[in-house]
Amino acid sequence: MENLEKQKMVEDLLPQQFGKQGKIWVAFLITLCAIGFIAYCRQLSKGLAVTAMRDYASWGIYISNFVFFVAISLVGSLITAVLRLTNVHWSTPLTRIAEIIAVSAITFASIIIIVDMGRPDRFYNLFLHGRLQSPIVWDVIVITTYFFISILLLYFPLLPDLQIMLKYKDRTSKWMYKLYGMLGSFWKNKPEQFKITDKAINILSITIIPVAFSIHTVTSWLFATTYRPGWDSTNFGAYFISGAFLVGAGGVIVAMYVFRSHYNLKKYITYDHFDKMGKVVVMLALLYLYFNVNEFLVPAFKMKKPEEEHLRGLFTGEFAPIFWFAIFTSMIIPIFILITKKGRRPFPAFIAGILVVIGSWFKRFIIVTPTLLHPFLPMRDVPASYHHYFPTWEEWAICIGSLAGALLVITFFARIFPIIPIHETITETEEHEHDKK
Amino acid sequence: MIKNNYIVILLLSFISVASIAQEAKSDLSLSIGYYNNNNLTHYLVAHAKTKIDGRFQTVPDVSISFYINNDSSKANLLGTATTNDKGEAVLLMPPSAKEEWKKSSKHSFVIVSKASKLYDEAKATADVSRAKLKIDTTDDKKIIVTVQELKDTAWTLAKGVELKVAIKRLDGDLNVNETQTFTTDSTGTITAEFKRDSLPGDANGNLTLIAKVEDNDTYGNLTAEKVVKWGNKFQYVSQFDRRTLFARRGHSPWWLELLAYTIVVSVWGVLIYLIGQIKKIKKLGV
Repeated sequence: MENLEKQKMVEDLLPQQFGKQGKIWVAFLITLCAIGFIAYCRQLSKGLAVTAMRDYASWGIYISNFVFFVAISLVGSLITAVLRLTNVHWSTPLTRIAEIIAVSAITFASIIIIVDMGRPDRFYNLFLHGRLQSPIVWDVIVITTYFFISILLLYFPLLPDLQIMLKYKDRTSKWMYKLYGMLGSFWKNKPEQFKITDKAINILSITIIPVAFSIHTVTSWLFATTYRPGWDSTNFGAYFISGAFLVGAGGVIVAMYVFRSHYNLKKYITYDHFDKMGKVVVMLALLYLYFNVNEFLVPAFKMKKPEEEHLRGLFTGEFAPIFWFAIFTSMIIPIFILITKKGRRPFPAFIAGILVVIGSWFKRFIIVTPTLLHPFLPMRDVPASYHHYFPTWEEWAICIGSLAGALLVITFFARIFPIIPIHETITETEEHEHDKK
Repeated sequence: MIKNNYIVILLLSFISVASIAQEAKSDLSLSIGYYNNNNLTHYLVAHAKTKIDGRFQTVPDVSISFYINNDSSKANLLGTATTNDKGEAVLLMPPSAKEEWKKSSKHSFVIVSKASKLYDEAKATADVSRAKLKIDTTDDKKIIVTVQELKDTAWTLAKGVELKVAIKRLDGDLNVNETQTFTTDSTGTITAEFKRDSLPGDANGNLTLIAKVEDNDTYGNLTAEKVVKWGNKFQYVSQFDRRTLFARRGHSPWWLELLAYTIVVSVWGVLIYLIGQIKKIKKLGV
């Protein structure tokens, strides 16, 4: 590869300043975060009474949001680890997108769980007095671990890129240059350094897979270890993981399209990437659909009395609109869009990705709340409002604020660091050219 | 004239409907049982039932008056009690009835419930001969139960009385051996062999034996109890500190602790090793 070509590639992939649209986007996200913060301040001062959560529906959209964040974070392990270990090279430009989605999602998963606690000042008690037998403690351990692995998996491949960015002092602001220096000034492109980095990435790729499986399996056990209609299932771990990979892959397609359009990366995130990611999403949607059929058909066939009310509520009752919306938008419509080659073009794939993400959020709501409103013992002598759950504006604001926060982290990351790995892309292009010769 | 006829017809219809409504009262069925526990406590239990949809069902909230011998005077009134959800009303024999009780070896108990909006007046009687049970044991774990009946002023042995001999347990009585019921012989006695070895007793190995005459037409319900040291000593062991999945903090099972800490240490060991590798990369770059 000629130096000029390399130069062009580097310049294409260097982080770019926010344009007008970028600034509006950031302002929009900051506004949502601020509204969420105000709502949270109200919750802190008035307590969880500002939410619609009551004795029965004690887990509302905060926990749905938490499960959604944990789910989407799994994409880091799918794109970076699973595809890397199976020697799939086309995913290289997508690894950093996947990793930053993982890091931001897992960060906000931790934040939203503290929001749900109502008394964050008591959070430390979880560490001081936690029971090792409790899946909640396992969740805390595994989320922390996954966060650090994701950070390392983001950092190691970034080292050669930091060294590249340090060469472009004129294109960076002073504080960013300092940051690059702090993080990667010691990188000298020495073969020994590459050797250590490659080894570290391989170790991380192997480590992250069981940890990623654990993180979402444990999250599913928060439900499955509780004896309630709709949660009492041995299928939950696999059901959650397949759903998590699906929403993560959908999220990556959305991010691919946005970065491709706004950072002019058409040369690097190609039709081929959309085509392949589209196929991955179809496969994952079919897999998740399979688990859904298992999850609902088996109890519906037996129709045990306590399950009956819950299932009727989902299929034809109070939650039917959300249930069918979630099933169709997160699985069935995306499958129909992405199963054709035309559907795997960037824009239709982007739409399918959006549907997957939105549908998956509502799917988490369907998993969490309806079960709580159908306890084994009938609800008696409680106010009418206890029989239903509709989130208050504070809950919506906090959840939307947290989603905006996660997007803000991704946006700022893409502003500071190259969203497509520069060094890896150059190396792979060179190897590809070499193979051609 | 026709108008007057209509009024008469209407009045007659009203009267007939009212009389039908009165006739719609249900029959209340009462029954009474006499109980003598350990020759110490005497009480009466009344049961109230009525037929609803062709089936007998218990009737709660029925006030029942209990009389001894007859219900002709207030002096014979033992007391009143109201039936509970199970249709049962219980009345302990009051001390004031002691003299009347001692007067004769045979008594009649009468229960009466007054007519109400729902039920007609109902009555039931039970004739009881005064009797008592005596329970004894031998060193070779045999239980001897004697039934005595008061005849005039003397206690005589009662033969041909069916009774049960059992051990009192938490949820019911356990027969002392495979024989379900015994019948007293000509000496008014039965002998039962205790065949429940290794049965847990209390902390001292105590078991409570019980002899019971149930629903006997002549004597009613009689029981007698005796505590014997024929059981195994039961030592309560607290499960509170056991290492289980449902135990408190710091008491998780060893296997879980081993598994969890091994995984945590292994994974974090790898992470710490990788952080060490960053330092190594740093050194190489200096």
